[in-house]
Amino acid sequence: MLTYDIVIVGAGGGGLYAALETSRKKGLKVAVISKVYPTRSHTGAAQGGINAALGNVAPDSPEKHAYDTVKGSDFLADQDAVELMCEMAPKIIREMEHMGLPFSRLENGKIAQRPFGGASFPRTCYAADKTGHVMLQTLYEQCIRFGVHFLNEWFVLSLVHNGERMAGLTALNLRNGKVEGIRAKAVILATGGHARIYWNRTSNALGNTGDGVAMALRAGVGLKDMEFVQFHPTGLRRSGILVTEGARGEGGYLINSKGERFMERYAPEKLELAPRDLVSRAIETEIMEGRGFKDEEGNEFVYLDLRHLGRKKIIERLPQIRELAIDFEGIDPIKEPIPVRPTAHYSMGGIDADKFGRTEIKGLYAVGECACISVHGANRLGGNSLLDIVVFGKIAGEDASESVGEWELLPFKESLVKEEEERIKSLFDGEGKENLAELRNQLSDAMSKGVGIFREEKGIKEAIEKVEEIRERAQKLKVYDRSSVFNTNLQQTLEFLNMVEVARTIAFGALERKESRGAHFRKDFPKRDDEKFLKHSVIKRREDGELSISWKPVVITKFKPEERKY
Amino acid sequence: MEKREATFRIKRFNPLKDTKPYYQEFKLTVFKGMTLLEVLQQIKDKIDPTLAFRAFCRSAICGSCSVKVNGFPKLACKTQVITELEKFKTDTLTIEPLDNMEVIRDLIVDWDGALKKMEELKPYLIPDPKVVPQTLEEECKVLPQELKKYDKFTDCILCTSCFSACTAVNIDEKYGGPFQLARLYRFAVDKRDALKGERAKIGYAYNMWNCVRCEKCADVCPKHIAPVDGIMKLRGISIEVGLKDNPGARHVEAFYKSLLESGTLNEVLLPLRTKGIKGIIENLPVGIKMLLKGKAHSPILKPIKEHKSLVKLIKVAMEVE
Ligand SMILES: Cc1cc2nc3c(=O)[nH]c(=O)nc-3n(C[C@H](O)[C@H](O)[C@H](O)COP(=O)(O)OP(=O)(O)OC[C@H]3O[C@@H](n4cnc5c(N)ncnc54)[C@H](O)[C@@H]3O)c2cc1C
Ligand code: SF4
Ligand code: SF4
Ligand code: FES
Repeated sequence: MLTYDIVIVGAGGGGLYAALETSRKKGLKVAVISKVYPTRSHTGAAQGGINAALGNVAPDSPEKHAYDTVKGSDFLADQDAVELMCEMAPKIIREMEHMGLPFSRLENGKIAQRPFGGASFPRTCYAADKTGHVMLQTLYEQCIRFGVHFLNEWFVLSLVHNGERMAGLTALNLRNGKVEGIRAKAVILATGGHARIYWNRTSNALGNTGDGVAMALRAGVGLKDMEFVQFHPTGLRRSGILVTEGARGEGGYLINSKGERFMERYAPEKLELAPRDLVSRAIETEIMEGRGFKDEEGNEFVYLDLRHLGRKKIIERLPQIRELAIDFEGIDPIKEPIPVRPTAHYSMGGIDADKFGRTEIKGLYAVGECACISVHGANRLGGNSLLDIVVFGKIAGEDASESVGEWELLPFKESLVKEEEERIKSLFDGEGKENLAELRNQLSDAMSKGVGIFREEKGIKEAIEKVEEIRERAQKLKVYDRSSVFNTNLQQTLEFLNMVEVARTIAFGALERKESRGAHFRKDFPKRDDEKFLKHSVIKRREDGELSISWKPVVITKFKPEERKY
Repeated sequence: MEKREATFRIKRFNPLKDTKPYYQEFKLTVFKGMTLLEVLQQIKDKIDPTLAFRAFCRSAICGSCSVKVNGFPKLACKTQVITELEKFKTDTLTIEPLDNMEVIRDLIVDWDGALKKMEELKPYLIPDPKVVPQTLEEECKVLPQELKKYDKFTDCILCTSCFSACTAVNIDEKYGGPFQLARLYRFAVDKRDALKGERAKIGYAYNMWNCVRCEKCADVCPKHIAPVDGIMKLRGISIEVGLKDNPGARHVEAFYKSLLESGTLNEVLLPLRTKGIKGIIENLPVGIKMLLKGKAHSPILKPIKEHKSLVKLIKVAMEVE
């Protein structure tokens, strides 16, 4: 059996930073295992930037950064973790800069910073519109430099522990179809987000299916604040691919089917530049009340109109957005308005972990978007996720490296590998009465409708029923491709099964949280309710498969909850 | 909405079943806005779940989905099907896996060889302690114009399109490769790097002089990078660091000669045959366009005779059209 001291699952920013940290300690046997090659990870898609109070443009401090983050989180973030992250931010930015990261620069040679939603200062460091991309590339380069060992195109199936401590995991080698057990004293999960659950309306990569979260759930580990999913107001109509705030920043209009600039009714002053959640709700309301557009495929949307800006300005100021609309939607914004609608963008909830990335199982860590530490609370600020993944990737990598020396390798039952093999075999032998694409669409529709931007008891309950039905029907799925070489049909089916498990927890959390906070908006409870709900939800799966919920206090240090007004 | 029928001729191969690859045709209704990746997904979802291809981000940033469309490497997620059909004036698109790498299955190729080459070239910053601060209290100052030297090359998403199209890779197994050598150049001009110009020696050892400047790498790059420019500049540096009277120049001439003799130069003209003159003009290698405009770049070597005659040939072809 493959045996390591530490196995890191996921090779996005979180996983790679953890890997670099472990490589500092000599003599450790470490592997990074990922279902895609490292630089394919979704971290590469982040464009906007990464926050740190460097104060290169205007005086700033980690404390102000922490306050903005806590306020943005609608006071649900754990303040000790936020303070730690904001304190470490300038150092970790410099550390990456010293690794060669090509940040954009000011005339004096310092790292450039720009303003971003929810921040009181220009605090976001960036590399043009490719911040996540160059971050991922730079970390990967340094991993090559320090000889990090990669297992690429392996799909992790399950976690193995004895109830107290980690023993390892099982994984499917996509190249040859073999299921293998991998023994390890510590496992760091950095598997990214799960917004793909909203399959037809998400900005996320095809593989952001919440595998790590589902694995943790199955392994009996708690999931925190799952009800919080962030929607970005402007995704392309069909693909959900993100049209960044830049388009509205430069003066783009949002237009409904009556030709109205409808933001006038929702945010008379800020109009299109109101906070993300407000704009998302406005667009959604227009569509729900019949003032949206509908295309032949049944997609509903409003228009993001740039035409009045004129050819010159569009070409000069928004070249990327123009290229994106042409490439992915076949529309030139100089001539036509861009069809958009809100798109599921970021998962605030995730595996319950503390500020060292530790979970309730000793040796199991979770960092990055799959984890909930929690630094984003009910709503993440732009530029804080890239920061979160590297800070806590680093901390967890360090913590694991220092701890594994004292830990023993646990026995690993061969039969667990057999179990996973059987699970896969049963998919090959499935009845085949259900179609994967069809079920995936239904899951997406049910979640968007009941547990999307607007929520209320009745709708959530309907969604829960529908998800249960889909879960039942998923038993009849069949994998038609029987090949052991690169069986993407099998992989997509396994991913779907994971999404169904995670979707249940989102809906369950949404039902239980009877208030509105950050990204979670209940029409039947439109106010924040600190008395009853200033606390984290923790959802677990019992032996019988049913879900149970408990609550955990929020850590409050300096910042007393107040109304979130912008 | 604009709609039409189209046929996708896809090259299939499953090593466990097939002794050799074959083509399978799929007919689909396509519409304005539809990308090639959506076509592949639709085939997989509705017609044949066994079709194997890679895709992840859907937004041209992860580099997973590069395939050949009528002979040209392209990102499936960034390719508008209707535009492509119109460009080729056809109802059929042929979709194949990339070249210069082994096919694992259907449209999936083995990237390991290409990436291993990159690893061998030491594609990472080794911080120069004289330039990079030794504490995390301070950043290294880099002026915007210093960043500009290599910024474009950091756009590379490792899609391997250029590697697939590269003439030198095809002929010389030892050749470092376009995206690999371009990344080497990126570090050679980063003031924070300890090796800097010395990196040209690595390029030299990996036969950068064998680049035939066919410019195909620049042609196919979905990120509008011209790896060849980096390679030419790295050659320039290699002369600066004392690899002056090198066998490189002689070598490169011999290489061209052998190219001509073996008839491989025809590859450079491939677009001419497959796309007609109109098609070639829009897909013309950047370098040749510049030559046509009288702005030949790459000052290190004078344009070689064959290169000139190639330009002449295309000029003639354009006039004929
Ligand atoms: C379009 C877009 C723009 C964004 N822009 C910004 C921004 O400007 N600023 C900001 O701060 N944040 C931004 N974000 C959010 C941010 O990019 C992500 O939250 C962050 O990159 C997540 O990093 P990660 O390391 O947790 O996971 P990822 O980068 O998603 O990596 C997950 C890894 O886990 C692996 N994996 C998953 N499941 C398995 C499995 N079963 N087996 C093996 N491996 C597995 C994958 O292969 C991958 O390597 C943006 C997000 C999107 C979608
Ligand atoms: S110009 Fe050089 S590197 Fe680029 S494709 Fe041609 S031979 Fe390869
Ligand atoms: S240089 Fe361009 S074509 Fe080559 S791998 Fe990089 S992005 Fe792809
Ligand atoms: S899917 Fe990522 S580049 Fe096409």
